[in-house]
Amino acid sequence: MDFELYGEDKNALVKFDPRTKFVVFAVSLVVSANSYNVAALVIYSVVLCLMLFLCGKKANAVKAFLMLAFAVFLRFSMEHAGTGAPVIVTIVSCILMIFLFFFPVMLSIMILTQTTRINQFLSAFQAMHLPTAVIIPIAVMFRFIPTVRDEWNGIRKAMAFRGISLEPAAVIRSPLKTIEYILIPLLFSSVSIMEELAAAALARGMDRSGKRSSYEEIKLGVHDYAVMALFIGAAVYFIVVSIITGGTAQ
Amino acid sequence: MSKKELNNTGAKPDKKLRTKELIYAGAFGALYIVLMLIVVLGTSMIPILYILAPITVGLVCGTVYMLCVLKVRKFGAALILGVLFALTACSGAWYSIVGAIAAALLAEIVIMLGKYKSKKMYLLSFVVFNLNMAFPYMRLTIDRDAFLQRSLEFYGQEYADGIAAVATDWIFFAILGFAVIGGIIGSLLANVLIKKHFTKAGVV
Repeated sequence: MDFELYGEDKNALVKFDPRTKFVVFAVSLVVSANSYNVAALVIYSVVLCLMLFLCGKKANAVKAFLMLAFAVFLRFSMEHAGTGAPVIVTIVSCILMIFLFFFPVMLSIMILTQTTRINQFLSAFQAMHLPTAVIIPIAVMFRFIPTVRDEWNGIRKAMAFRGISLEPAAVIRSPLKTIEYILIPLLFSSVSIMEELAAAALARGMDRSGKRSSYEEIKLGVHDYAVMALFIGAAVYFIVVSIITGGTAQ
Repeated sequence: MSKKELNNTGAKPDKKLRTKELIYAGAFGALYIVLMLIVVLGTSMIPILYILAPITVGLVCGTVYMLCVLKVRKFGAALILGVLFALTACSGAWYSIVGAIAAALLAEIVIMLGKYKSKKMYLLSFVVFNLNMAFPYMRLTIDRDAFLQRSLEFYGQEYADGIAAVATDWIFFAILGFAVIGGIIGSLLANVLIKKHFTKAGVV
């Protein structure tokens, strides 16, 4: 397990504002829910890979791109070969589609969480004059998603040490036991991390009512506006296509 | 335990959420959403399990919800959880977002009726809260044809046939029913688990 800082943007080729990344995330949600065209979805995913590359996570971006390319290749060759047992083809294509379908959301979560520090989040949101009751839960949620992943990996290892299987058959045989074995350690370690976060927030004066200052310089540059315009345009395109296709389907 | 003393002195009878509670709500929101995604992704390959997701998600996420509201015990914890859920799970369909937030608000009212003390009301509130799992499925009834066409495009003929076979007019009400069942099972499980592990350890 690598103990890197959550959200490192030292290697970034272009430093994007957290608000831009947030727009990208929102657009990805819309695109995932409204895409009827696999080709457009794939093009959108490639753009996201490029974005992740620019944000400094080059290895991850290349890895994600290769996975995407493999999935598209597999789908293409399965569609055109037309051989193979129908059951297996259906199952594999289902898995592939779920992968393609959630790819934009997963990648934009990666862009948000892996390349943004939590104080960048906070100062960007404060620049938008949002109340703390909105800022803190959202910022903490994105800070916490990688933590959940880390804890999950640790729990799986601990379970493997004790010979508790997480195979589908074992899960089906005793679902309640599995839930308890995973959920309880996950919740316990998460609660203690939350308490540490709360102590850190207290030490940084988050409870104060006045205006907070920050070392982080948060400013929207030309590249931010360009990327935002591009992604909002993509969202509009997907929604329009979705309305048109939905209309013809009836 | 010094942590407990801190909690007691910090818990003045103010009703506003403090930073600490906002952090709890956000972090439990992350846990809730990650677990929900794992469960839904793990089961959605089979159309019938896709429809039954309110039960499976309720079963897994009930404990997370219950721990969150029991740790905060103020107005807003369930609502924040519900809003975070609505923003990530109901993307693209405004009626689903409104429905999911309404369910969270209703859960908040149920807790309020119990004056933030009654354990039964806390358990009941999850049954209401879990209704939000049904709202992402509103597409099935409102945009049925578009949804089916999309399933066909994405998942192939057999999956679409499977969805079409279950997506009848009354399916939304059936899913609401599943959500209630999931809520009941989830809150019972949460009750057992919290009593067995967390109350003893002094977490809630």
